[in-house]
Amino acid sequence: MAPVVELHDIHHSYGAVETLRAVSFSLARGEVVGLVGENGAGKSTIVKILTGVIQPIKGNIVVQGTERVFTNPRAAREAGIAAMYQEPMLFPDLSITENIFAGHQLTHRGTIAWSQMHERARSLQEQLDLPIDPQTPVYQLRVAERQLVEIAKALSIGAQLLILDEPTAVLSAREVAALYKIVRDLKARGVTILFISHRLEEVYQWTDRVIVLRDGQKVAEKPTTEVTIPELIRDMVGREISTLYPKQPARLGDTVLEVRGLTHKGYFEDVSFTLRQGEILGFAGLVGAGRTELAQSLFGIDPIDAGQIILAGYSFHPRSPHHAVSCGLAYLPENRLMHGLVPTMTIPLNTTMPIWQRLLSWFGVLSTRRVNRMTDLLSQRVRLQPGRRDRLVSALSGGNQQKVVLAKWLAAEPRVLILDEPTHGIDIGAKADILAIISELAQAGVGIIFISSEMEEVRSMCDHLVVMREGRVTGIFDCPVDSKTVMAAASGLQSIVEASA
Amino acid sequence: MSTVARRPPGTEPRRSSSRGDAANSWINVALHWITRWEVGLCLLIVIVIAGSAAASSNFLTPFNLETMALNATVLGFLALGVAPVIMTGDIDLSIASTLALCGVVMAVLWQHGMNIWVAAGLAIILGGILGLVNGLVVVMFELPSLAVTLGSMSTYTGIAFLILQGKAIINFPASLVQLGSGGLFGSDFPIASAILLICAAILAFVIHRTAFGKSVFAIGGNRQAARFSGVPVARTRILVFVIAGAFAALAAIFYLGNFDTAQANMAADQLLPAITAVILGGVSAYGGSGTIQGVVLALVLLQVLETGLGVAGLSGQEQTISVGILLIIAISGGAAIGAVRNRFRRREHRSSIALSATSETEEVSQTASINVDEDHSTHEQGYKSVP
Amino acid sequence: MNAPLVRPGLWERGRFGLARLFRIREVGLISIVVIVSIVAAISIPAFRNGVNLRELLNNAAVVAIVAIGESLVLLTRQIDLSVGAILGLSAFITGSLLGQSGGIGGIGVILIALLLPIFIGIVLGSINGVLISFARMPAIIATLATLSIYSGLQVVVSGGSQVYAYQLPTWLSQLYTTSWLGVGSFVWIAVVWVVLFSFVMRILRWGRDLYAMGSNPEAARYMAIPTRRRTIQAFVVCGALAGFGGLLYIAQYGNVDATAGAGFELTVIAGAVVGGVSLFGGSGSPLGAALGAVLLLEIENVLALLKISIFAQQTLQGVAIISAVALYAVLMRRSQQPATRNRSQSDSDTSQIVKTEVQQ
Repeated sequence: MAPVVELHDIHHSYGAVETLRAVSFSLARGEVVGLVGENGAGKSTIVKILTGVIQPIKGNIVVQGTERVFTNPRAAREAGIAAMYQEPMLFPDLSITENIFAGHQLTHRGTIAWSQMHERARSLQEQLDLPIDPQTPVYQLRVAERQLVEIAKALSIGAQLLILDEPTAVLSAREVAALYKIVRDLKARGVTILFISHRLEEVYQWTDRVIVLRDGQKVAEKPTTEVTIPELIRDMVGREISTLYPKQPARLGDTVLEVRGLTHKGYFEDVSFTLRQGEILGFAGLVGAGRTELAQSLFGIDPIDAGQIILAGYSFHPRSPHHAVSCGLAYLPENRLMHGLVPTMTIPLNTTMPIWQRLLSWFGVLSTRRVNRMTDLLSQRVRLQPGRRDRLVSALSGGNQQKVVLAKWLAAEPRVLILDEPTHGIDIGAKADILAIISELAQAGVGIIFISSEMEEVRSMCDHLVVMREGRVTGIFDCPVDSKTVMAAASGLQSIVEASA
Repeated sequence: MSTVARRPPGTEPRRSSSRGDAANSWINVALHWITRWEVGLCLLIVIVIAGSAAASSNFLTPFNLETMALNATVLGFLALGVAPVIMTGDIDLSIASTLALCGVVMAVLWQHGMNIWVAAGLAIILGGILGLVNGLVVVMFELPSLAVTLGSMSTYTGIAFLILQGKAIINFPASLVQLGSGGLFGSDFPIASAILLICAAILAFVIHRTAFGKSVFAIGGNRQAARFSGVPVARTRILVFVIAGAFAALAAIFYLGNFDTAQANMAADQLLPAITAVILGGVSAYGGSGTIQGVVLALVLLQVLETGLGVAGLSGQEQTISVGILLIIAISGGAAIGAVRNRFRRREHRSSIALSATSETEEVSQTASINVDEDHSTHEQGYKSVP
Repeated sequence: MNAPLVRPGLWERGRFGLARLFRIREVGLISIVVIVSIVAAISIPAFRNGVNLRELLNNAAVVAIVAIGESLVLLTRQIDLSVGAILGLSAFITGSLLGQSGGIGGIGVILIALLLPIFIGIVLGSINGVLISFARMPAIIATLATLSIYSGLQVVVSGGSQVYAYQLPTWLSQLYTTSWLGVGSFVWIAVVWVVLFSFVMRILRWGRDLYAMGSNPEAARYMAIPTRRRTIQAFVVCGALAGFGGLLYIAQYGNVDATAGAGFELTVIAGAVVGGVSLFGGSGSPLGAALGAVLLLEIENVLALLKISIFAQQTLQGVAIISAVALYAVLMRRSQQPATRNRSQSDSDTSQIVKTEVQQ
């Protein structure tokens, strides 16, 4: 099959650091190719080069046999390359139609031809099974729907290559299935798809071929049928992972958190469970089950309509995150970097933020000495080299930033730590580090609520497992628990079609 | 931890040799200090004073210095009060109106027989309340502070006019006038300036040393993250508006003492200079950085500049124009300096902005859209100084 | 179980469907204006007075025109606080030049009168635009600075004197008093501008670019919309319309001094905000801004007629801004989807899920 897009010997550096080295591969028409690798392996750099956001230092791009140079994203789009990111970059106040045709509106004698555009948008939407009035402003759409708008956008420019950058992490299982169907449709129509994902099971299912990047180089390229997931992991990481889930047996103490009949209308209803000291309580369920909403209500971000919370024996009504923190709760939100760090502040200040009240000296002054001492202690625990004290966290690498966020909550020494997808988007090497730290915390007596959509992780790390579906608790199990049981509770079926597992 | 996988040696990501790093850090430290905003301000102050003194022998006389100091008082209180608001990423356009309303109320109360100092005390409380209203509406209803304070600016001025209409109240008690224009212990140094400096010192202490102050910067830097980290965001944001209101009331007291006249539109033209002083002082318009010391220096600079220009023969309006131009130059210059600093900084640290896969697209756009009020799409790094 | 979403249903065809989303805000505004007018006309005899109405509409027209320009800037997520000063400065310069032209009549004078204020507005607006695009100043600070510079210039240029009505060509003041079809000329002029800019913002790419920039500045850059150029252009147009407002000012008042236009920006922004132009950019329309101006002035007029102090009007403006912003915020929030978290509806087709999950 004639290749649609080829990359030849691509090199790229960012300052002194080489981000890509001699990367070459080609993508054929109608192929679905997976691109996997750890964070920092170079996947997003490849995407940026393909979409014209940055230029390679060496090497070239060939599209349909012609060498192209993309000086800006527009050039790449005109060459037929389009990308869809996890959170689509759309114009919220504008209609679906306008978003689809952004930058290339249909004109009739110099003026915009609205009705034509709406018609065309409708037909594109029909192909993607998106039956919404194209005049709807995009802010009314869900993430999955917005992704479809992005795809419609790509189709409207006749894209030959569609890059999907981590699209599924924010979708519910049903939406993932819908997206999968669309990918297959596009493939049948000859569109090439470059699929980037951390979810190796999906990569395995969706793709014809897999390319593995590690440290900026292509280390493997094989037809999907010829690889196994453990092989992929090994290629990505470059070494054997001895134990991915380092859970130590737990010594459970007293009940530290008891929740009875907790309700937030429209989000979750009648949720009850108990959490003991040193326990890791997993929360499984499909995306949209209400787990994050539950966490946010416990932490005082969202209100509570009914129910009772008993924290360490006392009745607890969270009024605000500040209040929750002062009562011994801590919350690691899913979007760690956006919600976790203040980029204009230094590492010590970020790390100690939840406990500033505890590090005061006279007159409410924040004691620099105590802040620094605490920071040093914590940095050791998370294996972060603090370096110069006045360094802003915005200057740190992504992985180090995540460590600062984790250190921050270690500092708070909470009674209850709520983790929302703690290893989401983290590469395999760092994942083990973080799970180890979580295990340590449980050993130290912290009660941990562990929300995760990765079944394996949740099943192996937790002592007990709460399964939620559509805002209700559908099961509480002792771990280790059978995955089929969990699935049944998560999806609401009494019996599951048995397939070869 | 034996079970944690580690990178075998030799598989670290490539980077160039670090021999140049040591030399780079010296340059960096030097550059960091020279380009500190406050240093630049001091330099400018010295230049302007030197220039003005050379142009006129009257410039450095005690009388002139005293006049300059007094002139700066009202503006000083306004600027100091609004600085923390801007540091949290909000803005308060109603400070001049708050001054007017508090001054009017104070004058009217006194006119009806109340002791002037009791009236002054009540004025400060009123200022705090007016600020509280601003804060509550902005925070509780989650509305942009620009719009809310634009509205309250009108509202408070309107109320001031409703109370006093076009009239004026004059001839305030000697004690007040003494406070506003008298010298300290009989010397030439104005009491007003002394009190201003004391308040500045206290405010600087609170903003830069206490946890409350750090909260202010945290909220300005990333409000969501601060909230999720247990910082009392709502409370702090409301408090800074209260502070702005109280300081505006203080400004009103000194206004009455200095000018001995109360009118409904007093100090209406001080809003812009106050914000100018804050921005000129190095406080980022987006929040999250800046110093009180910088604001004080900017106040000094503005005052000597205006007086110096007056000495040079420029009229009052021309001075205002020059101040506007100065503001523009200052911000552009600050952005330029920031760009230079960034160029040096990038070489030292391994920048990972290119490396992380998905989080960084959110990161960049999120830092840009965190503080909801103004247009942050051109969020610039180097213009700030670390608090 | 989930809160019902406010969103249109499936395929909606026809003109009615087209009108619904786009004009819903403007339709509401028109209705409110009409209702207030009717109520006022019935209950306050003075309101119905021909002189009162004419003056109200003429004043509203001027605000509306400048508000149209301001709305363009607001749509791009910027703000222009210097419009009042631009109006004043261009009014003064044009007025004094016309005054000094003495007896020279004819086409030349008319051209100067029409083009000069617009030209001055363009120049001043482009300074704003350049400061914000190239010097990367936040719009608030930049236009606060230019506000002081321009109004300062106004004082300097006037040198303490003023332009007197008798110095100006008579056809200018006649412009103010002329009525066509019973409605003042200013109103017709405003209508022309509204139609023109509604067209531009709806049908031309240039206009849609502005909406895009305000809705998502980053995506706009990514889509290769020339944001810098558009920002400058938006400020230029805003300045031009403010300059045009200066022309109307001269026609209306005749006397122009150093304080002309002071405080006008507040009224203009209040009008635009009341008319639904979002301070965050991306939504609103020139028509909305114009209608908002009309509504604002109408209410002020009613208050004045009810003998409520002239000083209450300023209070009203303030309350109006806050109320409008709050109202639109509430309306937006109710129809908004949660941005980060995906709340899915009930999964009816669960067999799909199982297949996906189990086939591993």
